[in-house]
Amino acid sequence: MLKLVWRLGLLLGIIGLVGGLGLAAGLRHGYVDAFYARFAAPAAGSLVLGTSRAAQAIRPGVLAARLGGRYEGPWLNYAFTLAESPYGPGYLSSIRRKLAPGTRRGLFVLAVDPWSLSMPKKWRGSGRATTFPEANSMVSQLASVSQHPNLDYLAHYLHKPFYQLLLDTDTARVVERLHPDGWLEIALPPPTANPALLARRTAEKLATYRALAASNQLAARRLASLQATIAFLQAHGRVVLVRLPTGPAMAELEKQYQPDFDAAMSRLGRPVGVPYLNYLTQPYPTNDGNHLTRTAAAQLSQRLAADLARLP
Amino acid sequence: MLFNSLHFLVFFPVMLGLYFALPARWRAPLLLGSSYYFYLSWKPLYGLLLAGTTLLDYYSGVRMSQLASPAQRRPWLYLSLASNLGTLFIFKYFNFFSEAAVGLAAALHVPVAAPTLALALPVGVSFYTFQSVAYIVDVYQGKLAAEQHLGRFALFVAFWPQLVAGPIERGAQMLPQLRQRHDFDYGRVASGLRLMAWGMFKKVVIADRLALLANPVFDHPQRFEGLPLLLAVVAFTGQIYADFSGYTDLARGAARVLGYHLVLNFRQPYFAASVGDFWRRWHMSLSGWFRDYVYIPLGGSRAGKARTQLNVLIVFLLSGLWHGASWTFVAWGALHGGYLVLESLTAAARATLAQRLGLAARPRLHQALGTGLTLALVAFAWIFFRANNLPDAFYVATHLFSGWGQLPTAQLTAALAGLGRHFAAELAVAVGAVALLTFVDYHAECGSVAVWLAGWPAAGRWAGYAGLLLAMLYFGIFGSSQFIYFQF
Repeated sequence: MLKLVWRLGLLLGIIGLVGGLGLAAGLRHGYVDAFYARFAAPAAGSLVLGTSRAAQAIRPGVLAARLGGRYEGPWLNYAFTLAESPYGPGYLSSIRRKLAPGTRRGLFVLAVDPWSLSMPKKWRGSGRATTFPEANSMVSQLASVSQHPNLDYLAHYLHKPFYQLLLDTDTARVVERLHPDGWLEIALPPPTANPALLARRTAEKLATYRALAASNQLAARRLASLQATIAFLQAHGRVVLVRLPTGPAMAELEKQYQPDFDAAMSRLGRPVGVPYLNYLTQPYPTNDGNHLTRTAAAQLSQRLAADLARLP
Repeated sequence: MLFNSLHFLVFFPVMLGLYFALPARWRAPLLLGSSYYFYLSWKPLYGLLLAGTTLLDYYSGVRMSQLASPAQRRPWLYLSLASNLGTLFIFKYFNFFSEAAVGLAAALHVPVAAPTLALALPVGVSFYTFQSVAYIVDVYQGKLAAEQHLGRFALFVAFWPQLVAGPIERGAQMLPQLRQRHDFDYGRVASGLRLMAWGMFKKVVIADRLALLANPVFDHPQRFEGLPLLLAVVAFTGQIYADFSGYTDLARGAARVLGYHLVLNFRQPYFAASVGDFWRRWHMSLSGWFRDYVYIPLGGSRAGKARTQLNVLIVFLLSGLWHGASWTFVAWGALHGGYLVLESLTAAARATLAQRLGLAARPRLHQALGTGLTLALVAFAWIFFRANNLPDAFYVATHLFSGWGQLPTAQLTAALAGLGRHFAAELAVAVGAVALLTFVDYHAECGSVAVWLAGWPAAGRWAGYAGLLLAMLYFGIFGSSQFIYFQF
């Protein structure tokens, strides 16, 4: 038995060494994916929260440059996707893990829209009354959210083969770039370069959200989760609700889907002293009728920083 | 627990270390405990289901062993069958038949509202219930002595390497092994680990990569025609073999490490020269089960030609249904049954044709043609197995050969999207890995891979092992994707 253990140990040692060197090189020079850097970043003092719209629209670096003196860092965009990070207990527990211990003067920008506070209508039924669709998602399940390298993430959620880390070293050729501050840059040419492509992407996105509007509804459980998130974060600093800009057709769809959404958010924030900043109809260009372009993200982040600086 | 998960990566060495460190008499109890842990890690509540049916089957077997006549034993047989097949029906087929009944009633303009059950399918239920049914029927028929030791019987049902996706073992093969002492043996353990590594390679490098090619097309087949559809069918043909045989290698390898021999489940099925030959090589433990417990009791080939063909069709319809409660699986089974009936009916004509074409004098060419044709027929049938519903399956089947006049660049781009930005590298890895699998299967077909490997110098062999493990590490697709046959 010792002979086998010795030989296996040697074999696995060689594999570990070669694999470890490759992993180190891949993580140092390559690009992992649209989520990893957020889980490899240190615990944060100020957070941007929400779904993909916030992930692509708000640059924490811009906010930090303007507001860094007033609020604690590190600053991180900790917004993911509609499937991963709608407001719910899973996202809240991940936020609890990500927040730097002892934070007292953080800034927490909570991007809200009707989609991230909705649930499928069919989930109203019995048996699912206490569960959330994203209960088994990466954000809900990942226990280690501030480790570098984050082997827990790499082992469970890296959906591309390892060798591709070594191929994705040229950032100029990668369309999607997740910055160390968590901002997800989509490096596409400006929409004006190809209006037909923008129209196609917008049509596809609208079709997806129209289907969502038909099958979902605003959920009391999600609103309660948002309130719980606000209550938790208020103990650690300032909370602001923000409705981000989007394409005109998407904004119109959202108004049809939830005409009273702005009033509901104002009502939710006012009693607990949380301001609600609404940029929904502001004219910023998008890549797909939904997510802002990288240039627009820089502009919006500047404006948001200025508006936040003016808050009493 | 999945074999390709971190959980298993911890479970297996810990379990193995304990297994060989403990005195021999404690190894079986450890195996039983670890088997239940393995199963409960998925959905603890369904462990009760496994334990309940195990207790009932054990007691039925013991009672039957105390009764002399078949008439006295029969109620216990029926009780056990009702428990096993009832479990299978409730958890797997109730909604399917309920919906079929509603559909039929609607077609007859009779408004019926049938209930549906919101139950998750217990992992491996089709496998362990079939294994238990085989045991109880063998005991009833007096072919097998009932196991008197509850723990041993429970381990026979729940033995973790084969609990969730087979191979479906027989009592006569497995129970004697459970009574033997299993000590550490270097050669056997090393051989088991090699088999496990090969199975894992097939799963994470080949099957899960080919899935990335097949899934985008099968998820939205109407967006494609011609070449992309054909590519997806070819990819799934490779995926299902690498996935299921990979799982079986992992199961057989793990059992071998522990000192147990599980039956062979695959014998290079894509080298089969006919569909009949394919079924003697593909999922052999299930084919054998249907032969012994359905085909032969139906009369087998002893009741005339027409009845034989009917029996074949019945067996394959049931086999299709065993795979899943969906019309696509029924169609897949029916197609294979049809192939076999046609093969049987045209045997004489094909032999004559082979003579006239001179193929009889060139057996290797004849065999190669047979293998090619069989592979094409099997791949065509996989369309029904993989498609999400019957309309999708019929669409793929009827559009495979349309649109070949021009290269559908946009469709190909969409079909390859699943492989990501580095699709050329991914295709190269897929082709290389499939070539390696074919090469190894060819060696197995010609003799024995173990013997072939033994002929290598030690340094070359160890370099090969290191290469295989590194290939898994660098080219493997992880993220705990489930084995296809777990859903059955």
